[in-house]
Amino acid sequence: MNEDEINFEYNEKVKSDGLWFLGCFVYCHLHLKRSLIMLDRTLTFVRSLVNFIAFVLASLGWLSLAWYIYEVREVILNNPVLLLAPKYYQHPLILIFLLTLVFDLFLYYRHSVTQAAKQKINYRQLKLSGDTGHFRRKTLWNIADTLDDESKNVLDEAYLLAAKLKQAEVNPRHLFRALLKTKKIQAIFIRLGVDANLLVQKLDNHLADGENSSKPPVVGASLQRLIVLASLQAYKRHQAAITVLDLAWPCYDYDSILAEILYDLEIDDDKLKNVIEWFKVNDQIADNYREYHKAAILKPWGAMNRSYTSIATPTLDHFSTDLTLAARSGRLDLCMDRLKEFSAIFDAYSSGQAGVLLTGPVGVGKRTIVEGLAQMMVKESVPKFLQDKRLIELDSASLISGASASEAQERLLVCLSEANRAGNIVLFIADVETLMGISSGGQESFELIGVLVEAINRQALFCIMTASAENYAKFIEGKPLGESVTTVGVAEPNFNQIIQILESKAAMLESHYGIYLTYSALDKTVSLSNKYLHDVSAPLKAINLLQKAVILTNKVARNNPKKVICDGEEVALAIQDLTGIPANKVSESEGQKLLNLETDIHKRMVGQEEAVKAVSASLRRARADLKDSARPIASFLFLGPTGVGKTELAKTVSEVYFGAEDYMIRLDMSEYQEADSVSKMIGDQDGALGYLTEAVRKKPFSLILFDEIEKANLDILNLFLQLLDDGRLTDGQGRTISFSQSIIIATSNIGSVTIQDSIRQGIDISLIKQDLIDNQLSKYMRPELINRFDGIVVFKPLTEEDILTIATLMLKKIKKNLADKGVNFKADKDGVAILAKAGYDPKFGARPLRRLLQERVEDEIANLFLANQLRRRDTVFIDNLGHIGIEKGREL
Amino acid sequence: MEHNLLSYFGKILLQIIWDFLYFPLWWYSAGLVKTIRGIGRFYHNEQVSLNFFVWLKNIFVPMYGQYDITGRLISFFMRLVQVIFRGLLMLIVIIFGFAFLIFYIILPPAILLAIWKQLL
Repeated sequence: MNEDEINFEYNEKVKSDGLWFLGCFVYCHLHLKRSLIMLDRTLTFVRSLVNFIAFVLASLGWLSLAWYIYEVREVILNNPVLLLAPKYYQHPLILIFLLTLVFDLFLYYRHSVTQAAKQKINYRQLKLSGDTGHFRRKTLWNIADTLDDESKNVLDEAYLLAAKLKQAEVNPRHLFRALLKTKKIQAIFIRLGVDANLLVQKLDNHLADGENSSKPPVVGASLQRLIVLASLQAYKRHQAAITVLDLAWPCYDYDSILAEILYDLEIDDDKLKNVIEWFKVNDQIADNYREYHKAAILKPWGAMNRSYTSIATPTLDHFSTDLTLAARSGRLDLCMDRLKEFSAIFDAYSSGQAGVLLTGPVGVGKRTIVEGLAQMMVKESVPKFLQDKRLIELDSASLISGASASEAQERLLVCLSEANRAGNIVLFIADVETLMGISSGGQESFELIGVLVEAINRQALFCIMTASAENYAKFIEGKPLGESVTTVGVAEPNFNQIIQILESKAAMLESHYGIYLTYSALDKTVSLSNKYLHDVSAPLKAINLLQKAVILTNKVARNNPKKVICDGEEVALAIQDLTGIPANKVSESEGQKLLNLETDIHKRMVGQEEAVKAVSASLRRARADLKDSARPIASFLFLGPTGVGKTELAKTVSEVYFGAEDYMIRLDMSEYQEADSVSKMIGDQDGALGYLTEAVRKKPFSLILFDEIEKANLDILNLFLQLLDDGRLTDGQGRTISFSQSIIIATSNIGSVTIQDSIRQGIDISLIKQDLIDNQLSKYMRPELINRFDGIVVFKPLTEEDILTIATLMLKKIKKNLADKGVNFKADKDGVAILAKAGYDPKFGARPLRRLLQERVEDEIANLFLANQLRRRDTVFIDNLGHIGIEKGREL
Repeated sequence: MEHNLLSYFGKILLQIIWDFLYFPLWWYSAGLVKTIRGIGRFYHNEQVSLNFFVWLKNIFVPMYGQYDITGRLISFFMRLVQVIFRGLLMLIVIIFGFAFLIFYIILPPAILLAIWKQLL
């Protein structure tokens, strides 16, 4: 039932709130009274006592029988017939045994009655009528009788708590407090990684918030509604009774204070429900397993059907594996929540279609669906036409291998004809496109796939195939195969469904690797894999990521047995391992680093305060997760004359934010001026890989630098429109490449002369920027592209002081290089100033300085090295005139 | 309080006495139904695993798709043997189920009778 459809109303007849569900008024009328609770508890105790006494007496009877046998052992061994004589069988021990036998029967009776009482929801009585889908008999249904013992006990506790606090009503908060005493709910909060004591403490402060009363409390309307919702949960799952898990399910919605408290502990409604689901899934898996094994025993082994009318299929068996056999021996994984796809498959077959093709992105679970079908076939819980049949997977690789095209065709023909004649075979072909493009014969060329299509068209056998969405579009859609089968699209499951799929795998991972998974690990797995992994689809990428995280935790646990908990942080580490993206929470030291980003950048960059500030701010936004998740982390257009530090800033950002300069992908747009540049950048259908898309696919976490963007071909600029807006491009192979983890920086020299002139005239930088955008940029780029950059940053020409600082920085680098060779370096301030002045050219920025330092310092030092005049422990110095000299180091 | 205690005690005592009184009643009503259902399930499972009816239904259908005369003949006799064999097994199953039901029904009086005999 959809949560939005819930409409409670008051019913006069039963004097309580309830709702209409499938034509039946469901309500909850609890008789809670202290005396009744006490009576109930005492009765339960006395009954257990009676059962215990009966058990002891019954055991005594069996003991006395054993004693009797021991006593008459000689008679039994020599002449057992004698035992029929009254002399032997009339014995006090036998009398005791017979008398206590009554207690055995009594115990059997008590056990049966208790077992039967566990089935509280009587589905047979509530049987839905066929036509309307509504309840046949009952129109009023008090679900108070359908609570199991534990949840009834919890409600009693809630009542006693409210009574103790002299509350007028028992409300959901009291219920939740009582629920926290049960083992199951405690386990839920352990999974959630929440300190249960803290929760209890916070909750206890608000238990007496309600109205006070001297009378015993009554069950409040909100609690009644909550129990009704819980009962619907139990009903939908065909449970025997309402359990404590069902009661906890709607708690979040029915008490705002409770919701606030849970929210403070980082638990929202979805989280709570998903963890409850986790426990239910585990129960269900155990139930299914038992039921499945009972059913599987009855499925025939081997290739024959039950009536032995099928035919042996030796060739087919050679080129295939039997999935029903694999399922029968429990070798296939569980398939979760694919009812829609299964019913589409069954519908296709029952409408007379012989072929079904499952398509969907890679990793979406097409194969798991087929395996799920195999399991359903083992249980025979499939439509009649699929019962008593085998699901056989044709191994196309071995079919083709070592054979010429005509031989492969022959093999396939034999396999299909065997499957057809056997009559009990459903054929499964994974990645059916592998059979395409193989043709035999010269002129009368005939494709291998044609054989299959013909068989499907003749309705010679049931066939199920899979193909990835990409290959479907490329090879199958619109071709004969595509037209002769029913295509069933397999969609990516949503967030909660993926969580539940992971939950179903959790128990296996935990026992296999000896670690403990918290809910936040699963939650993080899904959110991070959706965000950062784009190569394959969910749920596969989530399963792979979780496995990776579990293995990492296991590695740590081997050295430190205390660290067996796999939490969200471990998943973030796994993501970092796979992609290099630091996805964990921003740590305190990293927070400090981000706050001081400007200072860090200025250690490498001189001047350009505005540019550094703009870039730093956007990086902070990205790391604090405040940016639009689909778009790139940040995108900038750097404008300014050559040599002022545009590329240097890009390199610095790459080092500071990503950790190394290697994370920079640099594309010189002057190489992309021709019309065919687009395919060079994103690849083409013939299989050529795009330079940009490949680089980003392999390293999504990187800085992309487009140098001299104004030189790029117009088509490339159009591509950038999409890149900046949606954060993704589709490459030549049809893959979507995400740029959401990239920083994009484009540089341009447009208007450098204007910038220099305007700065010299003292015009404000913002005015210069506006002028550049209005009058200069628009000549090269469309306004919508200019508009899509997060920021347009104008780099100022360097001043003499800037050049002096840059000279000092560059000399520092030289010093470091020399230090590696064991040579010291020092420079006189005046000498550096002379060099800086000589290298200053406002038109070309820092480049002339670099050249000058190369010629006057580095070249000189190199010559000294080569002439063997410079040795270890010597000191190179720049004197006050800017000349190079050497101080000899001491000899050893 | 005193009154409460007395009434609790009375109610509990009544309930426990009812538990005992209901015991024989249950044995021949709900308990009997439960046993019959159990035997029904047992019959069903044995039938599915022995496949008696499937073999009987297909007695004239050739096995292994051998539609020629020889195939049909061999198959008919093979199936006949199977049907007889499986029929016998099924009969044993049915007898076993019945025997159990009778055992269930006569067990309480039999115990009482045996006790009576002991006391004689």
